[in-house]
This record gives sequence, structure tokens and C-alpha cells, in this order.
Amino acid sequence: MVSCVYIESAIRDHPRAAQLLQRLRKLPLVEIDHYGEVFNPRAQNFRLQKQNPAIIIARKNKGQVLAAPEGYGLGGEHNYYFSHMLNCLYDCRYCFLQGMYQSAHQVLFVNYEDFGEQIRQTAKNHADKPVWFYSGYDCDSLANEPMTRFTEYFIPLVKSIDNAWMELRTKSTQVRSMLQLEPSSKIVTAFSFSDATSHARLEHGVPSIEKRVNAMSRLIEAGWPVGLRFDPVVYHRNYQSAFVDLLEQIFTRIDARQLHSVSLGSFRLTRDHFRSISRLYPEEPLFAQNMSLDNGIISYPLDREREMIDFCEAQLMNHIPVQAYHPCEWHG
Amino acid sequence: MQDRDRGRVVLIWVCALHCEAKPVIDYYRLKKSHEERAFDVYRGDDMLCIVSGIGKLASAAACAWVAARYEHEAALAWINLGVAGAAEHELGTLFVLNKIADSDNGQSYYPAPAVATSLPASACLTLSLPSDDYRDDTLFDMEASGFIYSALRFSSAELMQSLKVVSDNRRQQTGKNRQRVSELVQAHIEPIDHQAAGLLRLRQQVAALEIPADSWQQLLSLAHFSQTQRYRLRVLWRYLGNREFDSEALLRQLAAQKTASAIIATLEQISYQDSEEL
Repeated sequence: MVSCVYIESAIRDHPRAAQLLQRLRKLPLVEIDHYGEVFNPRAQNFRLQKQNPAIIIARKNKGQVLAAPEGYGLGGEHNYYFSHMLNCLYDCRYCFLQGMYQSAHQVLFVNYEDFGEQIRQTAKNHADKPVWFYSGYDCDSLANEPMTRFTEYFIPLVKSIDNAWMELRTKSTQVRSMLQLEPSSKIVTAFSFSDATSHARLEHGVPSIEKRVNAMSRLIEAGWPVGLRFDPVVYHRNYQSAFVDLLEQIFTRIDARQLHSVSLGSFRLTRDHFRSISRLYPEEPLFAQNMSLDNGIISYPLDREREMIDFCEAQLMNHIPVQAYHPCEWHG
Repeated sequence: MQDRDRGRVVLIWVCALHCEAKPVIDYYRLKKSHEERAFDVYRGDDMLCIVSGIGKLASAAACAWVAARYEHEAALAWINLGVAGAAEHELGTLFVLNKIADSDNGQSYYPAPAVATSLPASACLTLSLPSDDYRDDTLFDMEASGFIYSALRFSSAELMQSLKVVSDNRRQQTGKNRQRVSELVQAHIEPIDHQAAGLLRLRQQVAALEIPADSWQQLLSLAHFSQTQRYRLRVLWRYLGNREFDSEALLRQLAAQKTASAIIATLEQISYQDSEEL
């Protein structure tokens, strides 16, 4: 349940902010100068805040579009990401956002036009080469769609730039707004899945696997390209049978030939994020598993990771064409 | 006297004046402590009330003084309770503060809205000197910014609240009528208690995750642990403790190990095995 709304005074009259305020009018409202005043202070407990987060309506003044981290993306040469929100509606225990931010409040940026300008400029900087823009790195792209109306602005924008492509990464079923738009081969909606055990134990608040497969299926039927993201794959005693079951559940509904891309990666976090999150959730088995440190990243020991990836890859190849597969490469 | 002998404290009330504190002291049957000289302190089961004196510096000093005395507690919850001025609000209206601004340096603080409440919320401007130059959009007080500045050094923002009862407005002033101030606060003692209970529930969630001090001392007495080993030991023990392993049985098992490395290896094996089920 949302506890209250903070809004930057300078954007109170922005049309998107006014729309949000109308929608959230029953909640207590607090004016602030800059979202960082509420979002950044250190003396906050992410775990407690996550129970009743607030919404912060703000403007992102700079750095709207950033170069994607090494290894992020689908093999393209020019990869960028942007976040119209910070933080997520869902509460996935493996998510790095819990370790990255002090606050669990959700920041909604309303100055889409500034994001749009930077997307145009970034695409222009690479002239005729394809440029990928990833949404859903610091948030779930679609989970807050009824509030943010993200697709209404960003899909037509990317469609209109010749050398731009966009991936929306999501665990949501909020596809209604996309179904009202003309489909485009330049917009890939990538759905993240974990097996049923990991979903039940680690993905708090995330819609069921079945509902997400339904949402995927509806997008495919409407002509939208979709992707599958099995990242992170989490180790547990029955991960192999659970992964086989997950693929079965997906591919009885989805024709693999219609998939744009599939990626796979095992659980990993930077050491700092791992430490912060495990301090917040000391009782969480995920953080008590046997892990090792490699180049600043905490992940499963190499032999276990190899075994997991090899197994999952082999299972995937029973369903998908090899050219659709993009492994997540993160080792230095 | 050792801090531990002072009794357990999980909730600290911070009031500027005795007349603001009196309803809390009476409601929770707190007793005056005769051991303290710096501030007047009233104690009860798991809580205390400190009377800081007027002003943000006094409030900050009281918070720091009392927090230092109870630094061994896993988590402390805080409530700043007092009266405030308002332009138009009726005398006796109780507010929970959602923004506290310091009039001297312009710094703003935002107490986290972690406790669900039906109380009205308000911003508050903390002044260094009394003023009747009321503003419509904010309460006036003289302590809240000092309280929150200091308390945030010791606890997270979710574990503190500032509650203010309107004592003065453009039409009426309670001023220095102490009995009237006590009556205004006393009228809200039940919703104030409700807020305290909410904070204590949150505080308990945090404290329950920590290792009890006596268990930690027992663990450390088993071998010589380096700083790195202590960190690892804490992580493992917090995990197993929160998975409801029998700590006494575990300690007996560990007592058979001769070195810190062997103790950590044993705990790792137990953790790895337990965590495979997710």
C-alpha cells in the first residue's frame, strides 16, 4: 500500500504530474525541492519502507540516457538504458535495486520529453548503425503502466527514429496499453521468468507464471515481438526439474519460432550489493548459499554455475532456435 | 553503573517540557530516575521519557546523550512529542509531522511514513526563537529539527516520529499555561499510544533479526576471531538464528571445534545445506 506522495515543487504544474496527482489525490501530499532529499539519505531501512513505500514525483535533470553496462543487451554494438522510474512495484529478493538504493520509495520521472530528446540525440550520434535502448534496468517497464503511461510516449518515439530499437523488460501483465497501439518490430517486450519454486520463494508480488505467459501470448497474437529472460537462474535442490517444468509451461502456450530473443544467466550481484541486501534479509536462504567472489561479483562457484547454465541451455535448445539465444556473459 | 544495568529500552520519548511529558509519564507509569544529572529521565518497562528543555540544541543533545547510553540496544524507536503553533488550526489538534524544516539553515527532513495512521499530517518549521508570525502551510515549533537531526544518527527514519499538538494560533495562545498544555496533550494520549505501538512493531521487526548480545559474547568466547572472521560469523549466526535453529545445541556443537576457522566451516556447512531448499 502506498503511504504518501512526495512531489518536487517545481513540477507541480507539469501535465503528467497533475495527472498523477489527480490519480493519487486521496494520499497525503508533501512538497519537496528535489527527490534526492527523500530518496538518498542514508538513515533509511529499505526493508521497512518496502512494506508501505511512498511515490515521489520528480524531474530527471540530467543523465536521462546512459551507456548500458558491459555485457548488457543482445549483442548489438550500441546499447543504452534509461529509467523513467527508480525502484519497482515488486519485491524480488535477488534484485540488485535493494542494495543499490537507500530507499524503497518509487520515483516517477515525468519529464519524458527530456528523455525523448536524449534518445533522439543518442541515436543521431550513431548515424546509420542500430542503437538499442533498454528500459527496465532500474524499474519494471510496465508494472506501473496505468499510472505512468510509459508506452504511450516512448513507443511512438522509438518507432519514429530509424536506427532505434527498444527493449521493455518486465514481470508484469500490464500489456493493455500496448495492445491498443500498432505493433512494431522495433519494440521488444522481454518477460523475465524464474521457476515455480524461485517464483514462490523469491518474487514477492509478481504475477503468476501463468498470467505472464498469457500476457506474452496476447502480445504475440497482436504482432509484437517478445523475448524471454531467464535471469537470474537461482540454485535450489530441485532447480533442474523446476526449470524443465517452467519451459513446459511456457512452450505449451508460446510458439518458440515467434520469439525475438532468449537470454539466460545465473544469480549474481556485486559484492557491495550482496552485502547490503544480505544485511537487510539475514534469514534469506539465497544469501546463505555457497557463493564465491570473482572480480567484484558474488555468484555461485564456477563448477556449480557451469553445471546450471549447461543444464538450462541444453533444455532451452530443445525448444528454441539457436540463433534466438543470447547467454548473459559477465565473467571478466 | 554499567549501561546494561539501567534496564532495557526500546522506545525513547523526547519532550521539551515537563508539562508536555506528563501525560506520557502518567499513562505509562514512568518513574523518575535519580541516577541522571544531565537531563530529567523517567523510566518504565522498555521505554523512557527524556525532558530536554526548550530548543533544537537541547533536543539534539538529549537524543545524543540517551542514544549513547543505550547503544547496545539492537534498535531504538523515538517519538518527539510536544506543542506547536499554527495559523488557523484549532487548539488541541494533533499532527504527525511529515516534513521538518530548520529555519536557520533551510535544511529539511522527512520522517518516513512507515506507520499507518489516521492522524492528519503537517509540515513544521523549527525556529530558534518564539514567533507569532504564523504561516498557513506549516506548524511552528522549537525542537523538531534538532530531534530528527540527532535521532537519525542512531536509528533509521522509519523508527521515529514527531507528534505535535497545536497550543497556539492566531486567535488563541496557551502560552505558558503548563496545566493547559498537559491537558491538550493528554486529550490525545490514546492515538499517541497507537502511534507508539506502530513504531514498536516496526522496531521489533528490525531487532528480531539481530543476534542477542549474550549469544554473541558466547560465540566470541569460543575462539579467537579476526575482524574478517567476526564478519563472517555474524552473517552465518544471523542466518541460522533467524531460521530458528536451536542456538544452545549449535553452541554445544561448536564448542567441540578448536579454531575460529573450524567453527566458521561448521556453520557454513549447516547454512549451505539448509539453504539448498530456498
